[in-house]
Amino acid sequence: MYEISSDENEFEDWFIESLKIYSNIHEYQLEHPTRVIEWTGEKNVCVAGYNLSKNEILELLLPLKLFADDNQGLCAERDFKVVHGGFTDGSIHCLKHIPGTRCVVTNDGSSSKLQVWDVGGDDCDVIKKTGDIHLKTASLDKGVKIDSPLTGNASVLHGSQVNDIQLTELTSGTPLYTLGTDIPDVLSSLRFVSGSVFLACSVNGDVYVGDTRSPSYLQKSPAGGREGNHWCMGVRADSSLPEPSSCSVARLSSSCQAVVSDLRNLKSPVCQAQLNVQRKTTSDEFLIVTWAPALDNCLAVSGFDGMVQIYNTASWRPELMEFQPIFIHRGHMMSDAHFDTSSSVVTTHVWHPSRPWTVLSAAGDGSVHVWDWVDNTTASSKSLA
Amino acid sequence: MPEIKVTPLGAGQDVGRSCILVSIGGKNIMLDCGMHMGYNDDRRFPDFSYITQQGRLTEFLDCVIISHFHLDHCGALPYMSEMVGYDGPIYMTHPTKAICPILLEDFRKITVDKKGETNFFTSQMIKDCMKKVIPLNLHQTVQVDDELEIKAYYAGHVLGAAMVQIKVGSESVVYTGDYNMTPDRHLGAAWIDKCRPDILISESTYATTIRDSKRCRERDFLKKVHETVERGGKVLIPVFALGRAQELCILLETFWERMNMKAPIYFSTGLTEKANHYYKLFITWTNQKIRKTFVQRNMFEFKHIKAFDRSYIDNPGPMVVFATPGMLHAGLSLQIFRKWAGNEKNMIIMPGYCVQGTIGHKILNGQKKLELENRQTLEVKLQVEYMSFSAHADAKGIMQLIRMAEPRNMLLVHGEAKKMEFLKDKIEQEFSINCFMPANGETSTVATNPSVPVDISLNLLKREMALGGPLPDPKKPRTMHGTLIMKDNSLRLVSPEQALKELGLSEHQLRFTCRVQLQDAHSDSDTHIRIYTHLKSVLKGYTIQHLPDGTVMVESIVIKVSSSPEEPNTKVLLLSWSYQDEDLGSFLSTLLKKGLPAALSSM
Repeated sequence: MYEISSDENEFEDWFIESLKIYSNIHEYQLEHPTRVIEWTGEKNVCVAGYNLSKNEILELLLPLKLFADDNQGLCAERDFKVVHGGFTDGSIHCLKHIPGTRCVVTNDGSSSKLQVWDVGGDDCDVIKKTGDIHLKTASLDKGVKIDSPLTGNASVLHGSQVNDIQLTELTSGTPLYTLGTDIPDVLSSLRFVSGSVFLACSVNGDVYVGDTRSPSYLQKSPAGGREGNHWCMGVRADSSLPEPSSCSVARLSSSCQAVVSDLRNLKSPVCQAQLNVQRKTTSDEFLIVTWAPALDNCLAVSGFDGMVQIYNTASWRPELMEFQPIFIHRGHMMSDAHFDTSSSVVTTHVWHPSRPWTVLSAAGDGSVHVWDWVDNTTASSKSLA
Repeated sequence: MPEIKVTPLGAGQDVGRSCILVSIGGKNIMLDCGMHMGYNDDRRFPDFSYITQQGRLTEFLDCVIISHFHLDHCGALPYMSEMVGYDGPIYMTHPTKAICPILLEDFRKITVDKKGETNFFTSQMIKDCMKKVIPLNLHQTVQVDDELEIKAYYAGHVLGAAMVQIKVGSESVVYTGDYNMTPDRHLGAAWIDKCRPDILISESTYATTIRDSKRCRERDFLKKVHETVERGGKVLIPVFALGRAQELCILLETFWERMNMKAPIYFSTGLTEKANHYYKLFITWTNQKIRKTFVQRNMFEFKHIKAFDRSYIDNPGPMVVFATPGMLHAGLSLQIFRKWAGNEKNMIIMPGYCVQGTIGHKILNGQKKLELENRQTLEVKLQVEYMSFSAHADAKGIMQLIRMAEPRNMLLVHGEAKKMEFLKDKIEQEFSINCFMPANGETSTVATNPSVPVDISLNLLKREMALGGPLPDPKKPRTMHGTLIMKDNSLRLVSPEQALKELGLSEHQLRFTCRVQLQDAHSDSDTHIRIYTHLKSVLKGYTIQHLPDGTVMVESIVIKVSSSPEEPNTKVLLLSWSYQDEDLGSFLSTLLKKGLPAALSSM
């Protein structure tokens, strides 16, 4: 349950505090909210609406000022540029960029169809649909989770349940790999850790490891006795290696627990924590946990409320204990000139692939924020990957 | 078909020089007359040869309208009116009329005195140009002549900025100039009523952007000021007397206490006197909040902001100073800059665009060594920050404005069509209107469908009502018949009988007759019967009568058979009909020419 309060002082406090806790922050208001932010380049992201009927997909160029670094003072350019845009007839719950291409794949969250789009080049600013992939999924009304292999030909891994996970070639629609199992558990996350090894997390917290080179291979690591919760997963892999030697897997539950494991031994977690989340929505659909790609032991969670919380897992223990975040982004709760806890939930967040402290987050009121947070904790936690 | 033509002057994909020509209802209007700040030669002026190859522009233009005082909208005005030649009316709002000449003179000084240019307008030309200006009030319809009227709407953006509606008869165009849809600390947001213009003309410069929030820009400003002051440095903010200075002062004042800042904030006295003068004059152009405070106290009586004295330049310790002029090209701001530039603890924040040739422009381009008039060099060690606070509408703002005004067509200038196809699709889909994007120098022609209001006579109206059918609905056009009388300045729709009466004409009935020859051996009366039977079987649903004298009547069409005694087998059918029955009459004559069927059952 959460209280609804409106306090101008609290907004001003946050505004003054923001001078110190962010090195940069930009806030934008989209016409319609997005629940996807997907990198399509070092400076470009795709966002898309999730209304029931017509929506827009936009490719946005991040503000040049952010990348000006040493010359930041001379660059006044703070705005997003809409470099490409297109229209969809349905909602977009999932949007994935296919590496090495100008292609993205989307799903509307309630059907078993994938749409394939060409984001476009310099000669035209319209995002066009190039085709559909109709899937044989076990459940026809749940959405499909999507991921794409880190290397190799353009293909997409998708599934709504563990037993319908499949790798499909993009251009021909030919299935390249099907997971041979009859486990009906609904998926919450699907992630590749290399060109062929992937992890699937079901909503009850079980993690499965599969390999698209061998359809019979499947390794299951149960969540272990944490019934009745909704779980999701975040994976940090060293994508420069062909085979993942070490890979951190974080699982987040709707009861605000985070469990960290290593791919080499998923059954025994390395550490865990009870996260400090005060105000919580009743919906689990926006829960997300991510690892910072360019920082050690740094993970971010959102989807409980209007905040994005960043934790340092280096101090976490194998036994369950409560930990405080090292940073909280409250910007989405500060609507105009006042503090408003009743406004929207953060729908998604992503880290910049190489800039260590840059995060993008979106909320249900249509806001999209780009922020560089300042790590005020001890020097040891400021290490770069 | 009546049409409106719109041509943005200029060449290529140039942005930065607004000058748009509109031809509507036989009138020619020039919207804005801006200077392109990136060129040093004649390319900075709009290309007026589109209007006429040589000579003055007066006879080709009915009026010129200037939207606001920024140089890319009014910078070429004195050149156009005094050097090319135009003596007609120039319209702009009161604040624009007051501020324009100051900016133009400043700009002239920089260009001529500092850069030594020759093909440029003089101070006297600026004065002569301004004599032609007729000031506008908001929401007030101004008759330019018998047919052309214009009206200004609030645009936000800068003090005195207006969006303008141009109307000839029932055709109209709205030009937005620069505007913004979100209010800031000292100006309100643009507003227009549902005036449903045929075309809404807007800039596309920001049409494909999503603007960063005002509070993030403000945060950045406060952060930079705070950081500099914390390290003991001095902050110089060169400003123009009106515009961002007020905005930033209000911002600093609001947060100075919260941030626990002890360093003094100053503004130069010239700044405050001018600002107070203009804001008093144009208080209705600011936002509600400002107006409320102004009643209570003087605009520039801040708690933490004091008047500056030249002697403070050398004071030790941190401070913040707002000083004119805005581009560092002369005066106090330049004087302060020279003293503070050598210290890397200090900072200069440029809140707006600087014209080429000014020191402001040079340091914004990263120049670290400056050559001053006395051959001295100045090393620029202080931190240079370029912050844009100008209020512009973005993609969302354009959609909001279209929703407000409900234009029949949209037209975007100064953009690359292939980079704006998505926006065009978006506008066309959401509003079902066409979106035009002419390149500079290209003309867009928009067909209009003007409605002509006429008076209708009561009799005619009653007659139409008596015909029944659905009730009159402004959304559902209905065809009706009547006679239009155009006399003097009135247009009246009356019944034909009434028209004849008024004009003293007698009504004529028009009848067609036609002879059809048939080979038929029957008697005349038998032939009549055969015709009657034949027509009855073909024309079901029509009134067909066989009169006692033998005549066959189909509706009002008369068919009579006759034959001559010399050729009893040749029958001549005489058909006669009034012009109202033309269609049926032609049909019958064609039918009967084919002859009568041989076997007809007798009655």
